[in-house]
Amino acid sequence: MKYGKLGALGAGALLVFSACSGTTATAAPGTSTAPGGSSAVAAGAWCVGGTVKIGTELPMSGGETANGAPTANGVKLAIKQQNAKGGVAGCKLDINVQDDALNGVHDPQTGAKNMQTLVADAAVMGVVGPFNSGVAKAEIPISNGAGLLMCSPANTNNGVTQPPEGDTYRKTNPTKISYIRTASPDSIQGPSAADYLYKDLGKTSVYIIDDTETFGVGVGDTFQAEFKKLGGNVVKRDSAPKSTTDYTPLFTAAAALNPQGVYLAGTTPTGMGLALKQGRTVSGLETVPFVGPDGVADLGPGGTQGATITIAGAASHDVYGTVGSAHDLADNTFTAAYTTEFGGAPGAYSAAAYACAQIIIASLDKASATATDLASAREGVRANAVNSANTFATVLGSLNFDKYGDNVHPFISFYKVDMTLAGGKGDWTFVKQESFSDPNAQ
Amino acid sequence: MTTATSKRLPSPWGRLRARARDHRSLTILAGWAIVASVLPVIVMIPPLSTFQPESLWIDGFANAGVFILLAMGLNVVVGLAGLLDLGYAAFFAIGSYAYAFGASPFTNLQIPFWPMLLVGAVVAATLGILLGAPTLRLRGDYLAIVTLGFGEIVPAVFLNASAFTKGTNGIGGIYKPELFGFQFTLENPVPYYVAMVGVLAITMVFLYRLQGSRLGRAWMAIREDELAAASSGINTITTKLLAFALGASTAGLAGVFATSKLTFVGPGQFGFQVSFTVLAMVVLGGMGNIWGVATGAFVIYTIQAVLLKELNQFFAVLHVPILQSIDFVQYQYLLYGVALVAMMLLRPEGLFPSSRRRQELHATSDDVADVPPPTEALGA
Amino acid sequence: MTVDFRRVIRPVAIGTIALLTEYALLGTQQFANALTLGAIYALIALGYTMVYGIVELINFAHGDIFMVGSFLAMWIMTTVLGLSGPVTNLLNLVGLLSIVMFATMVGMGFIGMFIERFAYRPLRHAPRLAPLITAIGVSFILQNIISSLFGPSPVNVPQIVPLDKFAFMGGKIGYLNVFMVVLAVVLMIALQLFVGRTRLGRAMRSTAQDREAAELMGVDINQTIAITFFIAAALAGAGGVIQGLYFGSIKFDLGFFVGLKAFTAAVLGGIGNTTGAAIGGFIIAFVEVYATVLGYTQWSEVAVFTVLILVLVFRPSGLLGQQLGERA
Repeated sequence: MKYGKLGALGAGALLVFSACSGTTATAAPGTSTAPGGSSAVAAGAWCVGGTVKIGTELPMSGGETANGAPTANGVKLAIKQQNAKGGVAGCKLDINVQDDALNGVHDPQTGAKNMQTLVADAAVMGVVGPFNSGVAKAEIPISNGAGLLMCSPANTNNGVTQPPEGDTYRKTNPTKISYIRTASPDSIQGPSAADYLYKDLGKTSVYIIDDTETFGVGVGDTFQAEFKKLGGNVVKRDSAPKSTTDYTPLFTAAAALNPQGVYLAGTTPTGMGLALKQGRTVSGLETVPFVGPDGVADLGPGGTQGATITIAGAASHDVYGTVGSAHDLADNTFTAAYTTEFGGAPGAYSAAAYACAQIIIASLDKASATATDLASAREGVRANAVNSANTFATVLGSLNFDKYGDNVHPFISFYKVDMTLAGGKGDWTFVKQESFSDPNAQ
Repeated sequence: MTTATSKRLPSPWGRLRARARDHRSLTILAGWAIVASVLPVIVMIPPLSTFQPESLWIDGFANAGVFILLAMGLNVVVGLAGLLDLGYAAFFAIGSYAYAFGASPFTNLQIPFWPMLLVGAVVAATLGILLGAPTLRLRGDYLAIVTLGFGEIVPAVFLNASAFTKGTNGIGGIYKPELFGFQFTLENPVPYYVAMVGVLAITMVFLYRLQGSRLGRAWMAIREDELAAASSGINTITTKLLAFALGASTAGLAGVFATSKLTFVGPGQFGFQVSFTVLAMVVLGGMGNIWGVATGAFVIYTIQAVLLKELNQFFAVLHVPILQSIDFVQYQYLLYGVALVAMMLLRPEGLFPSSRRRQELHATSDDVADVPPPTEALGA
Repeated sequence: MTVDFRRVIRPVAIGTIALLTEYALLGTQQFANALTLGAIYALIALGYTMVYGIVELINFAHGDIFMVGSFLAMWIMTTVLGLSGPVTNLLNLVGLLSIVMFATMVGMGFIGMFIERFAYRPLRHAPRLAPLITAIGVSFILQNIISSLFGPSPVNVPQIVPLDKFAFMGGKIGYLNVFMVVLAVVLMIALQLFVGRTRLGRAMRSTAQDREAAELMGVDINQTIAITFFIAAALAGAGGVIQGLYFGSIKFDLGFFVGLKAFTAAVLGGIGNTTGAAIGGFIIAFVEVYATVLGYTQWSEVAVFTVLILVLVFRPSGLLGQQLGERA
C-alpha cells in the first residue's frame, strides 16, 4: 500500500532513466508528443459508441473517503486532459467509478462485486485500484479470469503479486497477468528504512510498533528482519490496532529499554500519527529519530488536514520517512493542474492514480492500432501494460512491470521533517533516493 | 380473508390458502421456485435493467442470499427466543474461516463444498453453545453486551493468532464449489444463485417446521414470559441454548457460502457493522416473521448495494445543488439509525410483522390479561 | 455511630487493594498512565451506571455522548475561544479551563436530556428490547452527525494545558495527568454528595428503588429521570474534555470502543453502584495497561471483554453491586 503525497511531482513527466529495452509508449498529457494529439483523428471501428472507460475501484465513502476520493480525482484529471487532446486515437474517454467501502470500511466482498460490475461493462479498458491489499486479493481472481487490467496506485503487500501466494490468485490464467502496481513492495520499503536508520543515522537499537493492518505488519516484518540482519537490536515489537487511543503505556514500556530509534510501521490514518504525537512526550524518547514508511511520510506540510505533521504538531521534529517512488521530478504542473481542477492539494495517492491512468491510456493507444472490437482492445491494454518490454513515462517517472506485475525499477526516496518550513509548522524535505533491482528477478 | 360465505363455497383463492396451510413445506418450496424464477425476469424490465446488466443482478442476488440467511438465523435468536445478540457476525466469521481452513492452499486441504456447508454450521453451532452455556442465564440486556464483546473477540483472535490464520493478510485462493464435476466459476454467477436459492429454501422449510414445533412454541413462551414458561415445565436454559446454536449454525452456513464465492477471507470483514446491519434487517423486516425478515434483508441489501449508488448517480445528473452534494452511501448509517429509532417509536413490530409479535409489542398495561406485563416481556 | 460495612469499608478496601496491586505491578510511570486512562473510563462508567440504576436501560449511545462531548469542547476551544496552543499564564488557564468544562458539561447535559425525552421516554413501558435498539439507533445518528460536521479523519484539539512534567518517585508525571485524576475524583465526590445529601438525589435513589412507590410519595418521575440523564451526559462531557486535552486528537468513532470499555467498568464495579463504576474504571484501565506492559497490546481488547464475560458469568452483581437475582 501507500504512496507518499507526490505533490512535488510533475505532470510533464520525462524519462528519469532511459528505457532499458523495447518500445517506449509515451502518454504524458501536457507534452506535445502525446498520442492522439490531433483531434482530427476519427475513432476506429473498435471504439464502439465513440467512448471507452477507465474504471476506478476505491473506497469512496465513510471514514475512507479521504483515501479514495482524491485518488479517483487523479484518474479524472488524466481523462480530462486526454479528452482535451481528442481522446485516444479519436476515441473519447469516460470514467466508471466504483466504491468498495461498505458501511464506511473497505470491504473485499463489495470490491469483488465492483470488479464483476467493471468486467461486465464492456467499455472499461482498465481499472485503477484497489486501495487495500485485502480487497485486491478478492479482486485479482476475477480480473484474471476476465482479462481486465488492474493498476493499483497503493498496494504494497508482497503476497498480492509474488509467489507462492500470488499464484493462488491467478489460478484461472496463470500466465496472463492482469494486475500491476506502481508502488514498491514491502520487501523493498521496510529494509531500506532499516538500512537508513542503521547506516545513515547510526542507530543500533530500535522499537517497532505496527498498526495490525496488512501494510503495517508487512513493512514492520521486513524492517525488523533487515535491522536484525545488519546487527541491530530490536528492543521491542508491538502491535496496536487502529482503535487504540492511548499509546502512552506502549511507549513508556519501550522507553525503559532505551531504544535509539522508533519505526512506525503503519499509516497515519490507522493511528501512527497519534503514536508519534504521544510517543514523543514519553521521557527518553523526546529526541530519538522516528522513522516511518510512506503511510507516515505523506509529504503533507503542517496544516494540511489529516497530514502526519498536522496531527503530531510540535512532535514532528526528527521524523524521517521513506516513499516508494523516485523524487526527481521537480516539475509542478501536476500539482498545479490538480489544484486548479479540484480546488485543493492532491491527496497522497492522486499522482500514483494519475500514473496508472497514463499507463492505461498509453497501452490503449498502442492497442488501438490492431484492435477490432472492445474485447480485443481490452485484451490489448492488458497485454501491453504487463509486457515488461514496454516502458511508460508517467508522473512518477518511467515504469515497466515484471512477470508478476511489480515495477522493475523500484525507487525509494528518503525524506526528513524540517520544522522551520511551512511558516514554522514543518514540512518534509528530500534527503536522497536509491534505486533497486527488480524484486522478482531470478 | 375467508368470510362466512367462502366457508360454504370456497373460492379458488380460499382453497389455495387452505392447501398452503396444510402443505406448508411444499408451499415454501413452491414460493422460492416462483421467486427464484421471477427475479431474473423482473431485472430485465426498465428501470432496473438500466442500473446494471442481468448477470450482475444475479450475482447481487446470490450475495443478498448470504444476508437473508444471516437475518433468518438471527431471527431465531432475537425474533423467536427474544435474546438480543449483538455479536452475530462472530459466527459468520467462524463459518467463513472454517471453509477457508477446509478448502484452501493455506492448509493444503480440499474438502468439497457441500460437506463443508455442514461442517461450517456445526462448528459455528458448537462455538455458539460454548458461548451460550455460561452466559444465557444472564438478563437480556447483559446478554446483549456479552455477545457484543464476543463479536469483538472473535475477529481479534483471527487477526492476532496469525500463525494459524495468516493474520491481517487473510487467506486467499480459496476453492470454489463443484457439483457432479461441474466447476463453479467467478465469471458465471448463475450456479451460485441456484445453489443459494436451494440453501435458502431448505433452511426456511426447516425453520418454519421448527417454529411450529414444540421447541418453537417454547421459544415464544420464553420470549413472552420466561418465568411462566419455566413454571409450565420448559427447560429454559436448554431451549435458549438451542436457539443460540441454531442461529449460530445458520450464520456458519452463510459464512461458508460467502467465502466460497469470494475466495478470500480476512479478519476485517466481520466488524460490528455486519452484526448491526443484520440486526437492522431483522428489526425492520419484522422480528419473528421468517418471510418478513427475509424480505427485510433482501430489500436492505439491495438498497445499500444498488439503489443508494444509483441515487448518487441519479442526482449527479439532475444538477440539483443540494441533492447533488449529498452522498447517499455516506449517510447510509445515519439512515439506519433514524430508521431504527423511528421504527421502535412508531412501528416496533417491523414492516412485515408476525401477528403474535405485533400484539405483544403494542401491549399496554390494559392488555395484561392477554400478555405479560410489558417491562417483563423480554428476557427480563 | 457504626460504620456501614457495605457502603464504606468494602469500597475503600477494594479500592485500596486494587490501587496497591496496580502500583506494585506497573511502577510509577505506567501507574500514572493507567490512573489517567482510568479517570476517563470512570467518568463515562458513572453515566452508564446511573442510567441503568434508574431506568434499567443500557444506554448504548453513552459512549457516543462522550465522543460528542469531546467535539463540543474542541469546538468551544477553537471556534468560540480561538485557542490554538498551550496557555502558560496559570490564571488564564484556570479561567479558560473552567469555561470550557462548564460549557461542555451543561451543553452535553441538555443533549442527554433531549435524547432521553424524544428517544427513550416514549418507550419507557415498552419491552426491554425496544429502548436498547433505539439506543443503537441513537448511537449511529450521533456518530454520523459528527462525521458529517467535522469530517471522518482525526481532528486536532488544542492542548491548552502545557505538557510539562515533574519528577516523582522515580518517574516523570505530567501536570495534566494530575489535573485529570483530581478532576475525576472531585466530580465523583460531588456526585456522591449530590446523590446522598440532596433532595433531588434522594428522589433519584427512591425512583431507582421503586418507581411506583416513589411516584406515590410525590416524586416527579419524569423530572428525576431527565436529571439523571443530564448528569450522566455532563460527566461524559467532562470525560470528553480531558480526552481531547490529553490526547490532542479526536475522531467521530472514538465513542464505540471507549464506551464499551467504560460499560465493562460499570459492570465490573456492580452496575447501579457509582463507587463501583469508578473503581471499575481504574481496574479496566489497569488491565489494558498491564497487557501493554507484558507486550500483548493487540490482545488488550480481548482481555477487557474476557473480563466482562467472566464477571457477568461468575459475579453478575459485580464487585460492589447488590445481588440482582438469578432470574435470567
